[in-house]
Amino acid sequence: MEPKREGISVAALHHQQPAFRGLDAGHMACPGCGQALGARLVTEAIGPDAIIANATGCLEVFTSMWPRSSWRVPWIHSLFENAPAVASGIEAALKAQGRQTKVVVMGGDGGTFDIGLQSLSGMLERNHNVLYVCFDNEAYMNTGVQRSSSTPHAAMTTTSPRGETRMGKRHLKKDLLAIIGAHRIPYAATATVAYPSDLRAKVRRGIEIEGAAFLLVHSPCPLGWGHDGADSIEVARLAVQTGFFPIVEMERGVVAGVMKIREVRPVADYLRLQDRFQHLFEDSREAREELQHLQELADHNIEVYGLRADEPHPRDSEGADTVRRGGMRWS
Amino acid sequence: MTTMTRGGFASAASSLEFNTGGWRLARPEHRGRHAPCETSCPAGENPRAYLGAAADGDLRAAWEKLVEANPLPAITGRVCHHPCETGCNRGQYDEPIAIHSIERFLGDRAIEAGWDYPVGAPGGDAPAAAIVGAGPAGLSAAYHLLKRGIKPVLFDAQPAAGGLLRSALPPYRLPRTILDREIERVIAAGIDFRPDKRIGRDISIEELRADYRAVFLAPGAERPRRWSADGAEPARMRYGLDLLKSWTSVGDLPVKGKIAIVGGGNTAIDLARVLKFAGATEVHVITFQALPGAAAVPDAMSAVAREIRQAVEEGVIIHDHRGIRRLIMRGEKLEAVEMVHMREMDDSGRGRRLVAFEGTETILKADEVIPAIGQEVNSAGFESVIGRGPFFHADRFGRLADHAGIFAGGDACGAAGTVSGAIGDGRRAARAIEAYLRGTAPPEQAVIEPIAYRHLNLSYFDHAPRAAAPILSASERSAGNEIESSISQAGVHAEAERCFSCGECMACDNCWTLCPDNSVLKLAGAPPGRDRYVFDYEHCKGCGICAHECPAGFIMMIDEN
Amino acid sequence: MLEAIEGSAAVARAVALCRPQVIAAYPITPQTHIVENLARFIADGALRCELVSVESEFSAASVVLGAAASGSRAYTASSAQGILLMTEVLYNIAGLRIPLVLTCANRAVGAPVSAWNDQQDSMAMRDAGWIQLYCADNQEAIDTTIQAYRIAERTELPVMVCMDGFTLTHTLEPLEIPAQEQVDAFLPPYRFERALDPMHPRSIGTVVPPEYYTEARYAHHRALLRAQDEIVAADADFEAAFGRRCGGLVSVDGPSDARIAILSIGSVIGTLLDARDEYPELGPVKLIKLRSMRPFPADALQKACAGLSDLIVLERALSPGGIGIVSAEVRAALSEMQSPPRVHGFAAGLGGRDMPLELYPHLIAAAKARPPVRFSIVDVDPSKVAEEDR
Repeated sequence: MEPKREGISVAALHHQQPAFRGLDAGHMACPGCGQALGARLVTEAIGPDAIIANATGCLEVFTSMWPRSSWRVPWIHSLFENAPAVASGIEAALKAQGRQTKVVVMGGDGGTFDIGLQSLSGMLERNHNVLYVCFDNEAYMNTGVQRSSSTPHAAMTTTSPRGETRMGKRHLKKDLLAIIGAHRIPYAATATVAYPSDLRAKVRRGIEIEGAAFLLVHSPCPLGWGHDGADSIEVARLAVQTGFFPIVEMERGVVAGVMKIREVRPVADYLRLQDRFQHLFEDSREAREELQHLQELADHNIEVYGLRADEPHPRDSEGADTVRRGGMRWS
Repeated sequence: MTTMTRGGFASAASSLEFNTGGWRLARPEHRGRHAPCETSCPAGENPRAYLGAAADGDLRAAWEKLVEANPLPAITGRVCHHPCETGCNRGQYDEPIAIHSIERFLGDRAIEAGWDYPVGAPGGDAPAAAIVGAGPAGLSAAYHLLKRGIKPVLFDAQPAAGGLLRSALPPYRLPRTILDREIERVIAAGIDFRPDKRIGRDISIEELRADYRAVFLAPGAERPRRWSADGAEPARMRYGLDLLKSWTSVGDLPVKGKIAIVGGGNTAIDLARVLKFAGATEVHVITFQALPGAAAVPDAMSAVAREIRQAVEEGVIIHDHRGIRRLIMRGEKLEAVEMVHMREMDDSGRGRRLVAFEGTETILKADEVIPAIGQEVNSAGFESVIGRGPFFHADRFGRLADHAGIFAGGDACGAAGTVSGAIGDGRRAARAIEAYLRGTAPPEQAVIEPIAYRHLNLSYFDHAPRAAAPILSASERSAGNEIESSISQAGVHAEAERCFSCGECMACDNCWTLCPDNSVLKLAGAPPGRDRYVFDYEHCKGCGICAHECPAGFIMMIDEN
Repeated sequence: MLEAIEGSAAVARAVALCRPQVIAAYPITPQTHIVENLARFIADGALRCELVSVESEFSAASVVLGAAASGSRAYTASSAQGILLMTEVLYNIAGLRIPLVLTCANRAVGAPVSAWNDQQDSMAMRDAGWIQLYCADNQEAIDTTIQAYRIAERTELPVMVCMDGFTLTHTLEPLEIPAQEQVDAFLPPYRFERALDPMHPRSIGTVVPPEYYTEARYAHHRALLRAQDEIVAADADFEAAFGRRCGGLVSVDGPSDARIAILSIGSVIGTLLDARDEYPELGPVKLIKLRSMRPFPADALQKACAGLSDLIVLERALSPGGIGIVSAEVRAALSEMQSPPRVHGFAAGLGGRDMPLELYPHLIAAAKARPPVRFSIVDVDPSKVAEEDR
């Protein structure tokens, strides 16, 4: 253990961090949890004057084991599928009271792509001044890794296992962003915990905009994806650099910007780090075909979103996470 | 007893009371590791440290970190072969940091601004030590003794300090004004300099030993090593270093025709260029070593790579991996030399040996052959301590076996013969001398492995071009004008920011930003560097993200238990 | 001043007088007229309120949950399938102890589909942890709505005001609409101690482990029991202010020496009053109006039933395979009495079937049965039932 530094109280330091952190330590997320990190980064960008409505899921459970809570912002969890409606009510109340407090929804992919989609659609259609943040870890992790409509094709989950007749999930990942885009809300984007500056900028943009905004944050799950907790950022970064998870922005449903990929990596680099894709590296025709299928899906993303960089840019997949001595990059 | 709250609400951040640190199997620790620039610097500089200060915009702090090891940065920034840049991990990414340009800039800035060396005056009862030879090794030893509170008394045979820096380095590499001013400043810091004192002529070793409990010998290697081709040598053979010295003092050299220089070191290259400037028709350099390449070459020529490159630009012809087997004479006059492919090869564990490859002979027309294959100590006056010679047999701290209180360093010890190596010798010897004088534990040599490139996380860096110092074109060059000039202050800053900070915290905030458990805490007022972050082991679950994502490889995961 | 007005419109007026800040609702018959009226008030600028027109009853309940949790007075209304779709949220609102008022325009629950009245919907929410108050007429619907906000805000429990669909919601009659100043005096501005507020950031809706879950449920249960006092007090204070009362928890009408009583809830009380007048020859009969189904006023009910020999329970819902929901609860409550009356359980008027005056003699006759009628659907026509299902 490092020697204790004289005159420094770690407990006091939690209350003296130079950036506001709406989610603090002592939560019960697994080591290396992408969602825990993502949620904290989002709270940093929104600041203290905000109310969070949290859908049921890992984030809700691991941050709110009574009598303790990890939140520093007012936070409410009601149910799995109603967080957008609860947020709508909060926003309506704040409007009625003449308050400027920001309203943010946080949910997982289960709560967003599946069970809460109707409620979300309603919130977007009514264009509430709410930022919806979906932490996409591509399965129902809280209940023990069952497939969701966000689970990538061919990924293994407990309800899409690899067996004699199956190579993991049969269906494709739902194109949620297209659905969100079809609501023609002012702003929608994808982001990832691997590029915190990009994530924060998008949160700030989503918050500043008057009206509904949506952010899909790719959040690795060491337990559900089967990778080392230390590799969470690495895995998330590779998802971007392979084209597997495109980073895009939409204004009124139209793609307005993308994070270009400077050096496109083969999807195998991304898949290999994760147990949920290990069966794709077996020596069989099915494995080879499915592996290639995922490569083609990534290539398709690159093509339709125009992800390939023509020339280096400071905000492309290589430049966007460049750090500077003194931490200026993240401030 | 906790009582149930209405509707089951909880208070803000109350989970801080819950210690998730108990889940941890491994804990992150700050483990500074050495950077290759540091471990490869013969002078013992830590470039990473002064690049950091320069990046933070504190040039004086940068210079002070620099002169902790090397009191002559304006000089070494110009003449060093900078193995730091060869070792620089950034070289494997795009191009190494232009460390020498920053070193030079800081040295020049200190001279212009008159920054005082960070040394104090030794107390009245402080012990004294004698230093023989005011070249880089002697100056360095004197400076470091001064830093350690020991009075240095520096003797030199010449009227001015500098050694070979003054006598053999051409001004296009090292302008005299820089040389004079920097050495003046070092001496003024508190060195008792006694010029015109040659050992064996003006003062004897025994007298010195009687007056001083410790003596550091750094007289240099003045005598050219003998050279012959299969036993044959021209009647009137001139040696490289002698020619260089006389050109340096006179400013000109009688030269004509085609010259073949033997050797791959700085003397060979300096002389080749001087002869070219002086009007030789053709200048050939013949060496069994290899031309330096982009990647590190194990048997590369010992001359500074950029000097070799410039020499080639100026028309010097280099024959690498060649040796001279035979001189072709017409009577007294040299007609040509017979070259043969030659390499230094492993002699099955018994060191290395030169091998000439039969059947690869070629003829090169030449009017004069000039050996520049190194020098030896002129042992006159040192007979009692040099043993069988031709060099002093000192350990890494300059200690001579069987001669307690006598230390040696620099070219006189027969090592690589570089300025930075000599400065390092002086610095280490000062440690040993202090230990000897104060009766404390003698220093021991530690094997230090630098952090490897693969231990950095390169995702967090982006490509950026290396700062290029302005260089005169080949046609603009002359012997008296410095060829390379300084980079700008903005260039220094940009270049310092390119540093990967290998093995040391660069305060990039990555660990603080990416910890999912808020268990890396930041001290808002702390300066950039390792003191800025504290691990909260009460909550850290040991996921390892901070270690994995540290760009500099400064955090290590240590198994609990 | 009396005003001839439809029940739904009257409730809308009552809601508006309570100055709600957020209203969310989804259309379902027979609740629609209430929300349509409120939407009109808002559109006309008569009511300053955020109207959130949601995409489902589930979201309607969720929106008012969020709004009330943020410290706004909120309102929603629904019926039948809508109430059932809200189920999960209604339990949640109650468990979070969020004060709200919901009007349930009572309607049968499909299948088969029926747009008409019975009380199966609200009865299905009996265990959700809400206060449930049933209205016998539209004046009570107005008055109970106003009282409901006071009760909810004082107890931090949600209140469901149940009024029979069509029978009340779509019926026009002369009603007293209170003045705004009177309502303002009765109902001070809402201040929710646990409101979502960045200055006092609480976490609402946590996971409670087994060591404390029981205590959370117990506290909720106790809060509902204690709410009986608030319901009584609200009605008494209302009477003092407005000169009308709704009958507290449970009220009795009829000669004190009557040995027979009919207990019912909702608008059927009015029919029974008329029927008793119509059939005086059937002897003295008390009519007991059970206004509060939750909390269930066992003590008040025992008092109301003292001296009775037979108690007829008439309700518009049932627990298929069990018995009548109200009658089961009444039986349980009265069983503690020294000499409890015989309890006869009847359901009638399901899915909008008329409750004619002729039902009254039938019930009185049925109460002569020995042993007492455990449970019977009194107005079923067996000839309409397939042979094998009779």
